[in-house]
Amino acid sequence: MERSASSTDGGSVAPIISVRNLTVGYGDEIILREVSFDVHQGEVLAVLGRSGCGKSTLFKAMIGLVEPKQGEVMIDGERVRSLADGGSEGLLRNIGVLFQSGALFSSMTVAENVAFPLQQYTTLAERNIEQVVALKLSHVGLTGCAKYLPSELSGGMQKRAALARAMALDPKLLFFDEPSAGLDPVTSAELDMTILKITATLGTTIVMVTHELASIFGIANRVIMLDAKEKGIIAQGKPEELKTSSDDLRVKEFFNRTAAGEKSESLPE
Amino acid sequence: MRWDTAHENLPKAQFSEEHDGKIDSTYSISIEKGAFDDLHISLSGKISMDTAELVREELVKIIEAEPLRNVVLDLARVEYFDSSGTAILVEMFQVCARLNNKLKLDNVPARIQGLLDFVDFKEFDSAGILQPRSQPSLLIQLGEGALNVYTTGRDILAFIGGAVEALIKDLSHPGKLRWDGLSKLVEKSGTDAVPIVTILSFLMGAILAFQAAIQLRKFGANIFVADLVGLSIVLEMGPLLTGLIVSGRSGAAFAAHIGTMQLNEEVDALRVMGIDPMRYLVSPRIIAVAFSVPCLTLIGDLAGIIGGCVVAVLSLDITPTGYFNQLHKVLELSDVLKGLTKSIVFGIEIAMIGCLRGFQVRGGAESVGSATTSAVVTCIFILTVTDAIFSILFYYSPPVFKS
Repeated sequence: MERSASSTDGGSVAPIISVRNLTVGYGDEIILREVSFDVHQGEVLAVLGRSGCGKSTLFKAMIGLVEPKQGEVMIDGERVRSLADGGSEGLLRNIGVLFQSGALFSSMTVAENVAFPLQQYTTLAERNIEQVVALKLSHVGLTGCAKYLPSELSGGMQKRAALARAMALDPKLLFFDEPSAGLDPVTSAELDMTILKITATLGTTIVMVTHELASIFGIANRVIMLDAKEKGIIAQGKPEELKTSSDDLRVKEFFNRTAAGEKSESLPE
Repeated sequence: MRWDTAHENLPKAQFSEEHDGKIDSTYSISIEKGAFDDLHISLSGKISMDTAELVREELVKIIEAEPLRNVVLDLARVEYFDSSGTAILVEMFQVCARLNNKLKLDNVPARIQGLLDFVDFKEFDSAGILQPRSQPSLLIQLGEGALNVYTTGRDILAFIGGAVEALIKDLSHPGKLRWDGLSKLVEKSGTDAVPIVTILSFLMGAILAFQAAIQLRKFGANIFVADLVGLSIVLEMGPLLTGLIVSGRSGAAFAAHIGTMQLNEEVDALRVMGIDPMRYLVSPRIIAVAFSVPCLTLIGDLAGIIGGCVVAVLSLDITPTGYFNQLHKVLELSDVLKGLTKSIVFGIEIAMIGCLRGFQVRGGAESVGSATTSAVVTCIFILTVTDAIFSILFYYSPPVFKS
């Protein structure tokens, strides 16, 4: 699967997301300590790591669901804050989020779910909203499922419907939490292709938390790898580079899918 | 600690114990006491979940009978061995360790070695894992309980403040309303409740009249049944009964609905879309129920009065005209207004409590169940307390209320 070329002139253009010295945790427990990194416009960044490394916590902090203990996340120059703490609707409107379980509103049909952000944020007439909804559903391959309730869809279809909803307002940024979790390989590949199409045609920046190696090599421009013990980033860069030329054993094990501590011939020396 | 697989073939004296009955689960244990301080135990046959307990008991007995000997367990003739067998070996290890003896496994067949490789005997601590988690000391529990009361009280106040703030924002900017289907909420909490409110209020009126009749007949004061039923229903029973019915219907429904949304990350999804869950979910529910409950109360009042009338006519020789004339004499508009004021307040409380409990759901399905129960119980409690407060207020209130 080919990755789309991205604009890598991060030097001249300000990064669209800027994480600075982010420290997050729950209660007294610190999950991540002083994490800093940038995300550039138009790129697909994968956040990965072993289970328990803080991927979900970082994800929630970036979308404003968890308040950092220290540090900040800036999107488009504006600090990300939850609504309760004074976050702006304008900022949140530019973000689309695909939750791991889809998080579709279970009392609404697929079409109503996708129409929801449009009804809340735009003054479009109903028939225009219907047209946009039909367009989004066709992007994700769910034409004909408009009147189904989420409980009547398979897991893969729910994910795609949730993706359509996340894209409803054509946001600049999309956040995916384990998009391929629970999907069969074919559906997973189809979802990857949909994601590629979105970046290619709309120039959307995508941050995805995942540990599906196939997706990572298929569509990510850059990855950052977190580690539970380090409570931070242990590797950054292009997926191929990290697989072949990293010196860190943890990184090599991850990308070559070997058990921790086990010798494998496929591990490059 | 890894098991050695030495190949020693010592002569063994056999006195095997045959286990009678099923062919499938035959095993045998034979013992030989070696010349030095060794105890050789030879295990053969099938060690499966059916026989494991018996094997275990025997082995423990054998080993403990010879506390000064190291044990060598020969597995060469074991035909079948599963996890229950592994558990037995773990216990043997622990028994020997307790007696300060060594335990060695001999002639372990390859397929069994695979099972054993999974077990790191040094770290294998399975004792007590099925017991419930140990509770902290009483003092700690008391402290946690006090902290709990404080945080719950604080959360409730914060919730009320948030709900009121959201409501004010919405009512002052009706153009920017972001409400979950208001008409559907009114239908579910109001219209759908009419049958049950009518029937129960009718019955309540009838019961009141029936009980009153027994006493009033003694004094020939039959006609006053109209006063008693009319005033009781309109001032107290109507609003309270309706409030309780709506608590069970809508209070529970809100808690369950919002609680499940919490579990499915739907509330998080609203937040990241920039929608305030308080304004989207709670405000319309408060408005819907604050509107439905007084309407239902009026219907209930009427049904209750009619119920009283039916009993009065049937068992107290009162005519319907007489009943309603008497009622008209004694019932005043202020009474009805008092009842309706109470019911509006009840409605607001029911909606807030139901939604609050929904937002407090954490964890899984059981949490939704307790939130729903808690919503109804809290509603019943708060409604009754409010009723008492209103009684006092109305009694001491300025004559405006008593016209």
